[in-house]
Amino acid sequence: MIDAFISGFLFPGVLYALVWTVGLFWFFRKFMAPLHKRVGPYYNGPHGSYQTLFDLSKLWTKESITPTGVNPYLFSTMPLIAVIVAMLPNVVIPWTNNGPLLNTPYGLLILVVLVGIEPFLLFLIGFGSDNKYSFLGAIRVLTQAISFETAFFLSALAPALLFSTLNLSKIVESVSFVSFLILLPSLILYFISLLGLLEQPPFNIPDAEQEVVYGFMTEYSGTGYFMLQLAKFVEFMAVFAGAGTLFMGAYRGIFFDSYLWFFIKMVSIAVIMITIRAATPRITMEQMLHFSWRYLVPLSLLNLAWVMFAKAMIFTGV
Amino acid sequence: MLKILDFFEYAKSESLWMAHFCTGCCSLEMAAAMGPRYDWERYGYMPTPTPRQADILMITGLVSKKILPALLRTYAQMGEPKYVVALGACSFDGGPYNDSLSVIKNPTEILPADVFIAGCPPKPEAIIEGLEQVKAKIKAGIPSAASQGGLWKEMEF
Amino acid sequence: MEGDGVLMDYIKNTISDIPTEYIEDYKQNWLKCKLKDSKDILTITEKLKKLGLRSISTISPTDFPNENKIEMNYFFEDLQNRKNCWVKCDIPREFDKCKIDSITPIMPSANWHEREAYSMFGVDFINHPDLRPIIVSQDYYGKAPYRADFDWRAHEANQLNNLKAIVDDFKSDESKNEKILDPLGSDTMLNWGPTHPASGPIRLKVHCDGEKVISVDPEIGYVWRALEDLVTRKDFIGAIVAVERLCFMDNINSMTGYCMAVEEIAGVEITPFAKWMRVLLGECARVSSHFMGLGNFFNTMGLHTLMLWNMDVREYFLDVLESYSGARIATAAIEPGGVRYPLDISIFKELQAAIDKFDSVIGDIEAIFVKNPTMKLRASKVGIISKNEAIDFALSGPVARASGVKTDIRLDEPYAAYNEVKMDYITAQNGSAADRFRVIFEELKQSVDIIRQAKQKIEEGVASGEFDPQKDHMVKVPKKLPAGEAISRVEWARGEVLMHLVTTEKAKSPYRLKMRAPSFNHTMMLNRLLADKTLSDIPLVFGSMYICQGDLDR
Ligand code: SF4
Repeated sequence: MIDAFISGFLFPGVLYALVWTVGLFWFFRKFMAPLHKRVGPYYNGPHGSYQTLFDLSKLWTKESITPTGVNPYLFSTMPLIAVIVAMLPNVVIPWTNNGPLLNTPYGLLILVVLVGIEPFLLFLIGFGSDNKYSFLGAIRVLTQAISFETAFFLSALAPALLFSTLNLSKIVESVSFVSFLILLPSLILYFISLLGLLEQPPFNIPDAEQEVVYGFMTEYSGTGYFMLQLAKFVEFMAVFAGAGTLFMGAYRGIFFDSYLWFFIKMVSIAVIMITIRAATPRITMEQMLHFSWRYLVPLSLLNLAWVMFAKAMIFTGV
Repeated sequence: MLKILDFFEYAKSESLWMAHFCTGCCSLEMAAAMGPRYDWERYGYMPTPTPRQADILMITGLVSKKILPALLRTYAQMGEPKYVVALGACSFDGGPYNDSLSVIKNPTEILPADVFIAGCPPKPEAIIEGLEQVKAKIKAGIPSAASQGGLWKEMEF
Repeated sequence: MEGDGVLMDYIKNTISDIPTEYIEDYKQNWLKCKLKDSKDILTITEKLKKLGLRSISTISPTDFPNENKIEMNYFFEDLQNRKNCWVKCDIPREFDKCKIDSITPIMPSANWHEREAYSMFGVDFINHPDLRPIIVSQDYYGKAPYRADFDWRAHEANQLNNLKAIVDDFKSDESKNEKILDPLGSDTMLNWGPTHPASGPIRLKVHCDGEKVISVDPEIGYVWRALEDLVTRKDFIGAIVAVERLCFMDNINSMTGYCMAVEEIAGVEITPFAKWMRVLLGECARVSSHFMGLGNFFNTMGLHTLMLWNMDVREYFLDVLESYSGARIATAAIEPGGVRYPLDISIFKELQAAIDKFDSVIGDIEAIFVKNPTMKLRASKVGIISKNEAIDFALSGPVARASGVKTDIRLDEPYAAYNEVKMDYITAQNGSAADRFRVIFEELKQSVDIIRQAKQKIEEGVASGEFDPQKDHMVKVPKKLPAGEAISRVEWARGEVLMHLVTTEKAKSPYRLKMRAPSFNHTMMLNRLLADKTLSDIPLVFGSMYICQGDLDR
């Protein structure tokens, strides 16, 4: 009972997700600021670390407006569903050396499927907002998800192929330096499709401010928007954690195994992501489709071939 | 319980997001206040793309007749609690355009502002100081001026 | 090209068979003539077009109620060959007779200028393809607010009714777009602005089918301040307040233009020191404007880094302006007769700091942003303006130069001290959005180079005692000017600004000031550039046209 409570509400449950959201949001802003030659949040708390806490608390308690012409129930429950779906992968990810909450042989499958359906929820959110810009944003989410998920699935499949298991804890245990090198191309492909899936520059097409205002989030305010932000950051967590688990051995590290290592790995992915964000302009929809179907997907397929080849020739020991 | 509510009240005052809306040349200095030298994000101010998520509407200087309905609509689209900050001489009495045939001379009679920031255009420091005053106002629990009255309530937009 | 190398005399001969009151030389590159009959405007337009004067800079009506006429001024320009022609003609004032043939079918660049004259003065242009009111708010439709006898105070007394007219118009527009336009299909009308994050106060009515743009109809006038009308109620010095508010990004050069026109009427020649100061301050303002322009260009692609880096440097140049004039932006530093304040030579230290700062970052900016492959991928194929188009639509400034048009008023018709400045045209060939970005970037470097030259010149002059920074900044310009008429052109950061100033005898304030601002023509192009493109291209092309809503609406 206590255990269930702890894992449900503290770690890796709701509280963990909240703390992560607040922290990552702050980190995004604080890390972005020097790249912009600014300081970023500074006066609230040490180095402005309370700033995002205030921001999110404010959003939570601010008025939520439901525009006329939408279905109010769907409009306000969809963000909640989005958060829950984004949070679900947490149960299969081996956060610490105690293994995941739910140790199943199909961990990878669950992770990939849950990450994969999130964009469709976002599509519904935009579709149900009864706003032209939201609708355009929603269509864009869908287009982008379809084109990047293929590459995402294919690159996430590589470790499963190499280690012949879908069990995430087993994958983590089997990761070694050699396997990391073999899977390096998959990691890069995973990272690129992650940018697309998480709508980060240069693929931040669905919520392109200058084009479609705020995409599917345009009509959301207050609590609804807070939920969407939460869903977004938790989704980040799931995808980063996926990368950490599949390619970099999650909690395993030098000298000791702990969640700390996992955290460092996730943050380093975030750092690369933000740096790209600060230096790359957005591309257009056609260019995105072009890039995804002409280069990314074929490359992921080739990568699978490489992994199979490597498994047969080099990695026969495991 | 009280403590928690207090915390949320405090959070409201410390996190002010602006609606993206430029009506006049003062918005140039607003951009400068976002820039590296003045960086208002240090205090937690941030622009947000849609009025739905904004707490503050800046009347950046002059309000011409044609843009007034859009300004009021933007204000109406924002969620409570919301505050209005008037920048520059123009938003007070038309400023240099007091004689002009197309600029509204009394925008803050229509949409009352909580804080006026003087200048033409106000310096970025002044803008940040003005926003700090909004914070103080929220902390003191004073309701926003526009909710207390103003012609906008009777107008159609 | 046809018309190349045609001499002024030749132009004079060619148009001399049209009945005119006078044809005379004006300034260095101008020909001024007055038609006897306004019906001849089409003939002369066609002739001038054949002679290579293919762009119309602006059309400026002047209202003379006492003589019961409206005087039309057409400014024909040849952007490349330094030949311009100013054509005048009279038309009657009464609304039903106030008609003239539209020259838009011959010169497309006249399109919006004629619409403006129509909305401001009630001049009816016969055969204009699309004569709708522009700029003015809905309550002024059909009222000709710029006419000398228009009683705007009476009109403004009923403010709420006026506002209602605007709201009604907006609502009828809304219901039309929402309900009548293709209710079953996917065609829709997007309002891109005025509350859009990237638009600023302009509204583009984007008719689109999903992501595809069918047509774009810019609706402007959201920051209409009626500056041209406002100056007539200020004195000659007070008017600079209105003139500099044309657009605050580069306010110095617009003031220079206005002051030159006043000086011409007053017959005053300013000192060389003041001329150099105008160059120096003008280039500082140009740098600050170009920095914003470059940043904005990348902003439209969702990358704010360049904007913030640029603002970092820009602050240093604003410091110089602030130390000189006391204000960062609203400097009011140029005045008829010279520059407003004596120069404290110690601000050159700040200027040097600004230049050093500029030198230290410009390399990074070039490496990271100007050569950015993603930017090139996106921007080098959209918004392409051919050279011919640029000339036909009277584009100017960096936008025209990016299409390969060699036009730069600093070189074509040197003013202030630009005849002594070493500089050259900066052009590109393809006229795409990326080219415009590059041209603006190169001009930034050029401007800083000019600042260096001006700084050196002033320093030398002060050291040798040639300039007296405490006294030379101003020569006296009388408070009351004689009757006269002058035009002046300056190369503003965004293109050509043409000021047409009319004064009456013993006037204390301008009788009429027409400001021709470049963004007007540039916005006119948007529909051509954006039709058949996608939604993603709208902000990019819009940003690359270097439009400032301030000078668009005036
Ligand atoms: S107060 Fe001055 S800077 Fe601000 S909008 Fe008015 S004229 Fe422009």
